[in-house]
Amino acid sequence: MTQQPEILHYAVTVVGKDRPGIVAAITEGLFNLGCNIADSSCTMLAGEFAMILIVSLKRPFSKSRLIEELKPVCDRIGMTLGVRTLHADEIARQETDGEICMISVYGADQPGIVYRVTRELAARSINITDLNTKLIGTAEEPVYVLMLEVALPEGETPEGVEHTLAALKKELNIEIGVRIITPVAF
Amino acid sequence: MPVQPILRYPHPVLKKLCHRVEKIDRSIRDLIQDLVDTMHEGPGSVGVAASQIGVTLRVCVVDVSKNRHGKENNHGLLLMINPEITARSGSATMREGCMSVPDYTGDVDRSTTITLQFTLPDGTLQEITSSGFEAVAIQHEMDHLDGILFLDRVTSIKTGLFRRKNY
Repeated sequence: MTQQPEILHYAVTVVGKDRPGIVAAITEGLFNLGCNIADSSCTMLAGEFAMILIVSLKRPFSKSRLIEELKPVCDRIGMTLGVRTLHADEIARQETDGEICMISVYGADQPGIVYRVTRELAARSINITDLNTKLIGTAEEPVYVLMLEVALPEGETPEGVEHTLAALKKELNIEIGVRIITPVAF
Repeated sequence: MPVQPILRYPHPVLKKLCHRVEKIDRSIRDLIQDLVDTMHEGPGSVGVAASQIGVTLRVCVVDVSKNRHGKENNHGLLLMINPEITARSGSATMREGCMSVPDYTGDVDRSTTITLQFTLPDGTLQEITSSGFEAVAIQHEMDHLDGILFLDRVTSIKTGLFRRKNY
């Protein structure tokens, strides 16, 4: 029989209308349970506040116990809760030998920019690690901005990625730039 | 034992203000040798400050000549005692990490060109103007002498765009 891990991990998502006090309310609930926030990213998107947290706890614990604590808090402040149990292979640190790149894409707004760009990346096994989109410009001339952080597979180059996206750049008449942002450790 | 272990935060020495070196003696020259050996030991390391190996003195070493970002524009191996920046200009963002803060990186704004003075191990005063990647490395190492980690200067842990937009 496989031994059960001592520490349990869950992915918790909380989304709802932004207002002061959301993080405090949610993390109070987590604190009461003795939860660690191992990894998290929270941001405001339009008027919504979106929290994604990887939390960890010692056994014995259960997903239902987590929901039991957080659901009333979310109901009180008008947020939607999601909880997912993570398996050991989902928690392992993701590392890459390839370059980390920033891909900036922008141009006149049109349907399919995100899909068309990311489809090309997926075909070359380029992993997206972070993605932001924003609609800017004016109502008459809306401009779409897509910023991606990607991990290139070993051997792949920024020039190779630019070349892959060149046809798309021409077809959609958008700007696409790729630059290395692999961190330097001093 | 020339190669020294790199201290990691939360070791308290990393947040200490380092003292000026008043007299360059054998111990200072040994310290510099330790810093150079430790820098060469670290994979891809381009600089080490004395506080990173537990010595609270204003001494650091930088060598970006073997790094792909710095090989075209550098002063080779820099051995710096009591370094001081006397002029700075420009600003550029680079994603930095630090051997003393493993597994974390963030975008940091640094001056693109700096003029600095420091004392060499033989006691002579030197002034150089450094730019580009070497200037970033020098500023990162000099921050260590003031107990400042890159975490104190991070402007964004991921993309800096859009985060402050008002609706």
